[in-house]
Amino acid sequence: MSNGEHQNTVTLTVDGVDVTVPEGTRVIEAAERVGVVVPRYCYHPGIPTRPAQCRMCLVEVEGRPKLEPSCTLQAEDGMVVLTASKTAEDARQAVIEFLLVNHPLDCPICDAAGQCMLQDFAYVTNQLESRMDEPKQIMGRDRISDDILYFADRCIICTRCVRFMRDVAHDDALIVAERGHKSYIDTFPGRELNNPFQGNIVDVCPVGALVHEDFVFKARAWDMDATASVCPGCSTGCNVTIDTKENQIVRMKPRHNSKVNSYWMCDYGRKHLVMTNRGVRAEVPMIRDGDKLRATDWETAISWVARQMEIVGHETGSAVISPQMSNEDLSLLWSLLNWLQIEKVEFQVSSGETASLPSVPKLKLRADRAPNAFGLELFGAERVQHLSSETPESPLVVMGDLLQDAPEKFGMGASFFLYLGTRLPEAARNAHAILPVVTFAEMDGTFTNFEGRVQRFHQALNPPGIARPGWMVLSRILAELGTGDVISDVRSAFDHLVKNEQAFEGLSWDGIGLKGAPVRGGHEEVKNLVPS
Amino acid sequence: MSREIHPAVVGAQPFQTAERGQFDGPIFKTKEGRLRLEMALTRYPDKRAALLPILHFVQEKKGWIETSDMEEVAEALEVTPAYVHSIVSFYTMYNQHPVGKHLIQVCTNISCHLNKGDEVLECFLEETDTRQGEISSDGEFTVIEAECLGACGFATVVQVNDRYLEGVTPENVSNILDELRAGSHKR
Repeated sequence: MSNGEHQNTVTLTVDGVDVTVPEGTRVIEAAERVGVVVPRYCYHPGIPTRPAQCRMCLVEVEGRPKLEPSCTLQAEDGMVVLTASKTAEDARQAVIEFLLVNHPLDCPICDAAGQCMLQDFAYVTNQLESRMDEPKQIMGRDRISDDILYFADRCIICTRCVRFMRDVAHDDALIVAERGHKSYIDTFPGRELNNPFQGNIVDVCPVGALVHEDFVFKARAWDMDATASVCPGCSTGCNVTIDTKENQIVRMKPRHNSKVNSYWMCDYGRKHLVMTNRGVRAEVPMIRDGDKLRATDWETAISWVARQMEIVGHETGSAVISPQMSNEDLSLLWSLLNWLQIEKVEFQVSSGETASLPSVPKLKLRADRAPNAFGLELFGAERVQHLSSETPESPLVVMGDLLQDAPEKFGMGASFFLYLGTRLPEAARNAHAILPVVTFAEMDGTFTNFEGRVQRFHQALNPPGIARPGWMVLSRILAELGTGDVISDVRSAFDHLVKNEQAFEGLSWDGIGLKGAPVRGGHEEVKNLVPS
Repeated sequence: MSREIHPAVVGAQPFQTAERGQFDGPIFKTKEGRLRLEMALTRYPDKRAALLPILHFVQEKKGWIETSDMEEVAEALEVTPAYVHSIVSFYTMYNQHPVGKHLIQVCTNISCHLNKGDEVLECFLEETDTRQGEISSDGEFTVIEAECLGACGFATVVQVNDRYLEGVTPENVSNILDELRAGSHKR
């Protein structure tokens, strides 16, 4: 123990399998290590308080007369835990039966159907008939916040939501009102929840009691495809799962990453992404033909662009890049800019109000409302407040959606104006070529977050028309110019990044996995790499 | 305040100690409110812990606890209004709706049921001409049914505000009401 810290361990047996865990580990977590998931409602790994009130995780411990809640029971040496003994299963069945006394069983119209822990555990208890003769109590529903509805009848009063607000968000605004069979979740009369992280109460709800209003009746769990991704809302880069249905994003949920966002994400991020569905997209390449832009195919467009570049030659110019572009896009783009000998690269980041979650210091809604501003800085781009409106007669490359507010004549004087974007703002009409690229949701790639953590995101949607990832388009132009190979898979694009930008040295696509990895040297050293 | 009370028993009083009436202004800006808050705080390690006696005080004074009262209490004790709301709604002895001057709770649980508790309840409702939970037209009475009041040896038990009346029969209901009206019912 060179660092002087000695972690004591204990060895216990869970359902006949030995498991060694650090001292102080709870049995419910020790069981997970050997693949035993003890049914639970009130326990949530991200919520510090454990009231052991749902009585669902009761397990039998040999030599002890009564069942014990495994969420608070500390693992001890030599402990023999039985999670599926007759006694434990009988107790669990009794809890389920109790919870179903007033539960409306409205699964056919419930948004949580298919992703509901009550459904899951009731299903395995295999109880065919209800013994209840009394009519069910009906409580109705309520609005908890401007976008969260509460279905009181479905609620099993696990208090995860109450404890998230109180113990994680430190905003004691959600409470259990009344008591016993009358209890329900409520805010103060006349006040709604107003916390930038309140959306997480919907995620922690084990049943369909809390739902986002904009998701109600939109998609069944089994109709959605889930894709691992990274939230592009700000520079924190929360790990998320994008749920899609019929090539539309229907919702975004946080994905656990202890190094970044724990189990949570902010509401801004959640709502922000649904906007990706909207707006008119650039779908086909367009090249200049006299006064007009003419739609064409990729082969024509690429060779036309390469020919134009050869005509303007190695002439210095300027470039404007959006911080929404992936690291791979940037890597290939810098190869293109080097060919053009463009050194002046600017980017602009929109900023907004910040918000933080007290118990997870790293998780903040940060002022930089873009996922890859740090990546751009690593490449040496310069952060500016306003894009320069006058363009000298030299080549100009614009990549990403940042011309929405640009003046009408933006880029008109450029000797060669190349625009790669997902949309078609007014100013893009001045371009010599418009190459349609895809959004982060439509491709694989990586972003570098605020502290230099490189994180992977994956393709959740099919791109519109014949739009393609930026790195793929750029590699084809470079290949046409004879300075590189065509890159058509993300691993090769990532390799290109690792080879060409020193900060990314030593990383590999497979190596960083779904949880990401810091750029070379970690946070502190990387700060020194960024020219201030 | 009607009676001087020692700080050590604030909030533990079995009977009402505040005169019924409205607060003239914010609760803890009034002399009475400020005094009761100060005294209650002397008994507890932190402000939050004084919540129950303070709510009792508000109810003694007004007969029930309004949402605006909860907000004031929350501010005084440095907790959220929502937390106060959860406490008020958890305990059935805090009234969340206005009640008459005399809140009459009639037990109809087993012992009282066997001793005509239900008839006693009916009589009270008839005599006061109300339905359960309503305030009688003269503002004097509210009658509700209660679960076991823990005095089964003396069924039927009726709780009037904070006091128990034992062995109540349908026959003496109207006497009780008359005495309460006259304000002469012995303690």
